[in-house]
Amino acid sequence: MSRAFVAGLGLCAPGHRGTATWSAAFPGLEVSEATGELLPPALRRRASSLSRMAAAVAGQAAHQASVDLSRVPLILGSAYGEIAAAVEMMREFGGPTALPSPTRFHNSVHNAAAAYLSIATGNRGFTTALAAGTATPAMAVLEAVALLEAIGGDALLVLLDEPPPGPFESAQPYPSAAAAFCLSYRPGPLTLAVMSEARRGSAPPADLPDGLERHPCAGAFALLAAVTSRRSATVSLGADGVGAWLVDVSPVP
Amino acid sequence: MSALPRSGGYPVTGFSAGNAMGANVEAVAIALEEGRTGLGPCPLDLPFDTVCGVFPEPLEAMPRSLAEFDTRLARMTVAILDAMAGEVGRAVRRWGRDRVALVIGTSTGGILETERAYQTHSVSGRLPEGFDLDRQHAFHGILEVLRARTGATGPSYVVSTACSSSGKVLGSARRLIAAGLADAVLAGGVDTLCQTTLRGFESLQALSRRPCRPFSADRDGLNIGEGGAFLLIEREGEGRVFLLGVGESSDAAHMTHPHPEGLGARLAMEAALRQAGIDADAIDHVNAHGTGTVANDVVEASAIAAVVGRSALVTSTKCYTGHLLGAAGATEAVLAALAIERSFVPATLGADPLDPRIDIAVCLKGKRMRVRTALSNSFAFGGNNVSVLLGARS
Repeated sequence: MSRAFVAGLGLCAPGHRGTATWSAAFPGLEVSEATGELLPPALRRRASSLSRMAAAVAGQAAHQASVDLSRVPLILGSAYGEIAAAVEMMREFGGPTALPSPTRFHNSVHNAAAAYLSIATGNRGFTTALAAGTATPAMAVLEAVALLEAIGGDALLVLLDEPPPGPFESAQPYPSAAAAFCLSYRPGPLTLAVMSEARRGSAPPADLPDGLERHPCAGAFALLAAVTSRRSATVSLGADGVGAWLVDVSPVP
Repeated sequence: MSALPRSGGYPVTGFSAGNAMGANVEAVAIALEEGRTGLGPCPLDLPFDTVCGVFPEPLEAMPRSLAEFDTRLARMTVAILDAMAGEVGRAVRRWGRDRVALVIGTSTGGILETERAYQTHSVSGRLPEGFDLDRQHAFHGILEVLRARTGATGPSYVVSTACSSSGKVLGSARRLIAAGLADAVLAGGVDTLCQTTLRGFESLQALSRRPCRPFSADRDGLNIGEGGAFLLIEREGEGRVFLLGVGESSDAAHMTHPHPEGLGARLAMEAALRQAGIDADAIDHVNAHGTGTVANDVVEASAIAAVVGRSALVTSTKCYTGHLLGAAGATEAVLAALAIERSFVPATLGADPLDPRIDIAVCLKGKRMRVRTALSNSFAFGGNNVSVLLGARS
């Protein structure tokens, strides 16, 4: 009950493509740039950098899993979401009109990246956007497995964050990065790994590059590292105020 | 796969709400029955005129143990939540702390404090003493408050899909219980007035200068409100009402405009009916999204007519509360639950004269009637739609 099969992966971290530390942490997985190629040019021009990262990893994972982006349910998880757009709006309040640009306003909602993906791919199905601090990956996995239990099929999980902009910078800096997972209710020919039901408990932190261990969605990158390493592992998906959430990951030969 | 109930649904064993009509659900119910709007002058310093729904003062400061989380959002959350502390405490004792989940919708969280902090920084070069982005702005701050206040330690997360956020939490609640990941879910939503949404909707030319008039030929925009609501959904128990279905869909059309034929809205309503296993003619009442904007109301009315038909009595309660954004879904689900429980469908204030293009039964005068089932719609930026179906105890 509540386990899922991982069939596609995506990773985006602007400026880290082809670097040795990232290749070592995520063997065989290409680090994509936030080009947002999945989005038509008119949408791409308006989309935030966070939304372009989401498009990059969603396209990568869906392609690997051979999943139809116009039909797959999409779950987006981010601790701070579009905080850069929100803070830029605050700057605009001091401008000549004292109003934000309409585009900036709609780009500031937490579900903006999911919305751009839905519009770009013609997906009229389920999309959601959630947040739970450093437990965001764990809660997104629970939302995904509960959805798979209800309707079967596949779900696309996108987990991402950017560092908050000034004057709200984090004392513990981390890189902008996004991860994606295509999860399936049943195993298939493209299944990479089996993921157990999430549970409470502790596990050693994953060895992640360039401050990624401080990323709010670090648990997603730990999961990505475990799946790409092709070894069985217990992965911490992050903690909330009560404690950490874990999953066991086993590769499928 | 999990056995989601085809009929009967999950019991809603308690609910609470507070908004411009009143700080508790009893005051809210009385205002609805008296046809008394809560809309009034907007207290924020804005470069334009509008009307808002303001949560009644006084709002008590946070207790010392939660002082670092003190925001207007947290104060409203605690005020609304404490009104159903008995029901929540009973559920935590019944199922165990780790079997009670918290799923909350908000669009802007504690951004009101962040705006003030940004303003202070732009004047002084320093953030205000005591401002903490994680405890006050970020969505995980309000989760800490909820965990501390309820004692629940099950899965806890915020759903933030703009104006559909706290309708969608009821879908999450339903699935978490069905999948065996929780036995009870405290689901709800809270949002405050803030510069971001007021100025943002003004930039979209969507705000009205006067109390909004959903479905009226004379409507000219929406009002923003603040407040929230919580519903306690349990695996089994004595329900005040029952959660029969939650349909979720996307328009895949535009970031801020509804699909021109209301396709996403239709899909959401159809999915809710399908989950419940009931026919459209069993719907007695619709609490519409009904923002009062020119674009929304015509499109939504055509979608309601197509899916539900023209006999269900349709109300938009945003003329009482303003648009509660991320808190709208849960609030309007509670108002739909009140319609069922109290056998009263509230009027849509100011709807007369109706837009002649709107061919549904808009409730122009409050009506006492038996309400077996009620559907509540919430539609959001990015074309994110949810339709919540509630039913009476059989």
